[in-house]
Amino acid sequence: MIAFERRESAGWIAQAIAYLLAIAAGLLASVVLITITGADVADGLGALWQGAFGDAEAIGQSLAAAIPLVFTGLATVVAFRAGIWNIGQEGQVFAGAMAGYWMSLQLAGAPAIVAVPAVVLASVAGGAAVAALCAVLKTRFDVNEIISTMMLNYIIVYLLSYLLAGGPWIEAGSTAYHQTPLIADTFRLPELFGLHLGAPLALLATAAVALVIGRTPLGFELRGLGFNPVALRYKGVRVATTIVMAMAISGALSALAGVSEVFGINFRLRAEVLNGLGYTGIIVGMIGALNPWGTLVAALAFGAMANGALYMSVLTDVPSALVPAMQGILLLFVLGAAVLTRYRLRFGRKDGRHG
Amino acid sequence: MAELLTPAILLSILSASVGAATIILLAALGELLTERAGIWNMGVEGTMLCGCLAAYVAMCETSSPITAAGAAMLAGVAAGLVIGFLTVSLKVDHFVTGLGFNLLASGLTLFLFRSYTAGGKPAGYATIDRWPIPFLSEIPGIGPILFNQHLLTYAALLLVPLVSVFLARTRPGLECRAAGENPEFLEAKGISVAKRQYGALLVGSALTALGGCFMMLAFANEFRPDISGGRGWLAIVAVIAGNWRPFRTMIAVIVFAVLDSLAVHAQGMGVAIPYQFFLMLPYAASILLLAVVRTRSGQPARLGIPFLRR
Amino acid sequence: MQRQPVLSVRGLTKTFGPVRANDAVSFDVGAGELVCLFGENGAGKSTLSACLAGLHSPDGGEIVLNGEPVRFSTAADAIVAGIALVHQHFLLVDDFTVLENIVLGHERGLFVNYRAAEKKLRALCRRYGISVRPDARVGDLTVGERQWVELLKALYHEAAVLILDEPTATLDLQESRKLFRIIDELKTAGVALVLISHSLAEVMRSDRVVVLRQGRVVGERATSETTPQELTRLMIGREVERKHRGSSRPGRPCLDVEHVTIRRPGGAPILDDISFSVAEGEIFGLAGVAGNGQKPLMEAIAGVLPFSSGRVLIDGELLADLDVHGIQKLGVGHIPEDRLSEGLVGDFSIAENIALGSHRDVFADGHFLNRGAIRVAAAVAIADYQIAAPSAETRARALSGGNAQRVVLARELAAASRVLLANQPTRGLDVGVIEYIHDRLIEKRAAGCAVVLASSELEDLLNLSDRIGVMFQGRLMGIVDARSTSIEEIGLMMAGQKREAA
Repeated sequence: MIAFERRESAGWIAQAIAYLLAIAAGLLASVVLITITGADVADGLGALWQGAFGDAEAIGQSLAAAIPLVFTGLATVVAFRAGIWNIGQEGQVFAGAMAGYWMSLQLAGAPAIVAVPAVVLASVAGGAAVAALCAVLKTRFDVNEIISTMMLNYIIVYLLSYLLAGGPWIEAGSTAYHQTPLIADTFRLPELFGLHLGAPLALLATAAVALVIGRTPLGFELRGLGFNPVALRYKGVRVATTIVMAMAISGALSALAGVSEVFGINFRLRAEVLNGLGYTGIIVGMIGALNPWGTLVAALAFGAMANGALYMSVLTDVPSALVPAMQGILLLFVLGAAVLTRYRLRFGRKDGRHG
Repeated sequence: MAELLTPAILLSILSASVGAATIILLAALGELLTERAGIWNMGVEGTMLCGCLAAYVAMCETSSPITAAGAAMLAGVAAGLVIGFLTVSLKVDHFVTGLGFNLLASGLTLFLFRSYTAGGKPAGYATIDRWPIPFLSEIPGIGPILFNQHLLTYAALLLVPLVSVFLARTRPGLECRAAGENPEFLEAKGISVAKRQYGALLVGSALTALGGCFMMLAFANEFRPDISGGRGWLAIVAVIAGNWRPFRTMIAVIVFAVLDSLAVHAQGMGVAIPYQFFLMLPYAASILLLAVVRTRSGQPARLGIPFLRR
Repeated sequence: MQRQPVLSVRGLTKTFGPVRANDAVSFDVGAGELVCLFGENGAGKSTLSACLAGLHSPDGGEIVLNGEPVRFSTAADAIVAGIALVHQHFLLVDDFTVLENIVLGHERGLFVNYRAAEKKLRALCRRYGISVRPDARVGDLTVGERQWVELLKALYHEAAVLILDEPTATLDLQESRKLFRIIDELKTAGVALVLISHSLAEVMRSDRVVVLRQGRVVGERATSETTPQELTRLMIGREVERKHRGSSRPGRPCLDVEHVTIRRPGGAPILDDISFSVAEGEIFGLAGVAGNGQKPLMEAIAGVLPFSSGRVLIDGELLADLDVHGIQKLGVGHIPEDRLSEGLVGDFSIAENIALGSHRDVFADGHFLNRGAIRVAAAVAIADYQIAAPSAETRARALSGGNAQRVVLARELAAASRVLLANQPTRGLDVGVIEYIHDRLIEKRAAGCAVVLASSELEDLLNLSDRIGVMFQGRLMGIVDARSTSIEEIGLMMAGQKREAA
């Protein structure tokens, strides 16, 4: 029998040790997975490392792969810190990319100084609107946000599929299926030091989320909501409004992931380039301990893993799918480890005092 | 829409619906059992996916549907153990656990599938045959819809009253429900809440995985990443919209299944409306259903709240 | 007529940490006898009943049942032995039927034999004149009917000893009468009954009264040979020390509560037509046993709980259109009953808890929190209110009860320029802290604030208040002048007797 005693607060050393143990256990489990494929473990992990950090180009690609994960990770942080289970990052990424693309069609021919901000704003509005819709469904109609955000993921993915496959956005005269034509130069995110505008934006967003959560009245309410909504209500905080605000911000952040992939890297809208960014963002945010800077670090690690996986799958027999499996395993171990920091576990009989 | 509703097509849609309903129904009944015991398991989608992969590999290896069903249920039990360890033993938040498990299952099944097929795709297998019930299946109209189905479909439909009786009339059923309603009461009677919750989770997850297995046996002869396509989530919605009652849950499942089959048929017939909009229907319907059907009287009082013994 | 007692408690002791909840308690109950355990909140009645019912294991002493010493490790053991507890807070599964609640945990085999169980239940209902449908869902029953289910649960298992913990707290007058009819039936059937009550009317219907104070038995009387006045004196323990603190001179009316009512579907109203007025510079005490409407009344005034009808005014301004925050801005402070779940965010620091509620105005600087101001306010609060904590960054959850309450106090007293609502502000705290909080309340009164103070400590109310309103089952039984009233008068009203028109 295990008894749980709530700890008042765990020391940061205990937290760090629990964390490191979880990550070590996750890596060990990944090694087991590689063994299953029959591949050489050292070769596999070596290739993964090489692909992620082998040379300057690899590092650049790893950073680029991390950018959207920073945004979706931060989207997770904002919602989960408020105790709102937004798992619609996937759909909100798509919605953001679609709204941005729509804006680029409306402003065809506009100079970059107008075009780029307009696209970013439109996409942010699109992502925020989808997320806010789920918040209203929750506060007004008592629809569980996990369900509504998840279902909207499917709906939005199909909507894009319609727009691209035979729909209005298909590339005329192209044999390529399911993608838009290339986006005009003026709409592309400008490049800085070999990375697109998304990189500084991601850093800025991390700082901004940290600032909002830590330093503003809204962030204050948001954190309070995650801890004790009852006490907030007793002190006159409008809980429903706070939920809508948190969701809108979360959706807006996810949308930026869509913008950076479509307008910063691929220059056309295709579902494949957006797939999984939202779901991975949930893992990134949770492994980042729902802390903006921790999330940044986790996103960098996950971006490197995703980038290295391609290289690994080419060089060895280990499929690139190792990476999502590894990430899932890491997440569960980190979740389990978090318990150790919240409770002090006592092993033994139910009640020692019985005679 | 007119050409969509000729009697023959309607019949075929309804018949396909009953088949499609089997997948969601098995998962929904599993989830219902689990939720009635107080565990708000959000890992249905992932559990179903595990069932799909297990059934697929077993079919490829043995061509035996029975082995496939057994393998899927074992995978379901394994999934239930993982979720149970986190929620029941470690008291991790139920939602977080479920979400985490889905992400794990999505990644892990993809990895295992790719590893399994790395040396070339297996030959695949034929989908299983229907088991028409003699005489009954020849009744015009209702016959082909209800009595020309797969064995597992009959079993799933039979499970609805069985689950209902289990919860209402049996001692373990009563104790599971008490675990979801008032675990302190159960503990005061000297009955272990954790054992009832683990039990419900394992049985429930096995049923969910069996739903995944049926999908592989009757509808697909190849595994695809995330092949369950949100049916696990629809099962959760069906339980909520069904107010945690087996028969009402079945009705919600049938709504989803009809919409699901409608999409398949619309695709095949070249209706003017793009097929993607049909594909959205079950998901849109699920949100609408939750917003409209707002009776939550059957929701277990302690659903999703980790039970900490004093 | 008394033979060997059915239940005999010998020197029972139960401690929780440093607190002796039961200290060498001894008493007997015979077959067909109704013994009443009488005492204030916290006198140890509920702990005692929990020990008897196997919910707690005593640290010392013994429980003797029919001459045999017994030891229970679970409630199930006690039930098997024949001791049943009818809980004050019903231990029932709301979503279950009456029958399911009764059979749970007492069946073997796969299927429950509902038919036999129902037959037995119906027979019991007939015998005691209880009309509850076995297939009714408990959640649909009125609070009174649930009490019958609790009782049936005990009767079903043929208890030899029946402990009734505050059984009438949730019953109306008619139902209470019915309960006592059933109790009479049980006495004739030879069941040994223990009644826990603070209602004098009920106490006087028992055969014997055992008075508890601070965990000890302080007196035992045959009911026929005692008076309510004597029992009340025993319960309080001494002649109340009357040191009325500072004579205040109430000013003009500040807080007006008019006909405030909160109805509840299928039950007695939560608040029933409450009207009173509090002047500036006055402390209005709310007496009453916990759970008789003090909490909803405070919350209705503070805007946390909407009410069905009636109105509340502060300085003549109607509060109807204001939310909690708007009411706070009028100068209302509210110390809620449960400081950890309602008053504080446990995972917030002291500083953050001080800022909570004013974080958008007083402690905001443009779009940002004014962290400087919060730090200063927290430092001032820690110094002024002598909050013992390593720093202002300490989580509220890590504080002791007294220090946590000081944080709430610091925040709410700062907000309360006109009205202070203090609900059980000293509950569970030690003497030093209580004195301190009282001083603060009196300061607030001196500053011209209208103070509403609810407390289960009669003595404190008598010493601090100018007037005292007594609540019983959601009604205001009467308002008395604190200086001229007596503890007996208030005690009688708390126990449900209306004040005779003076």
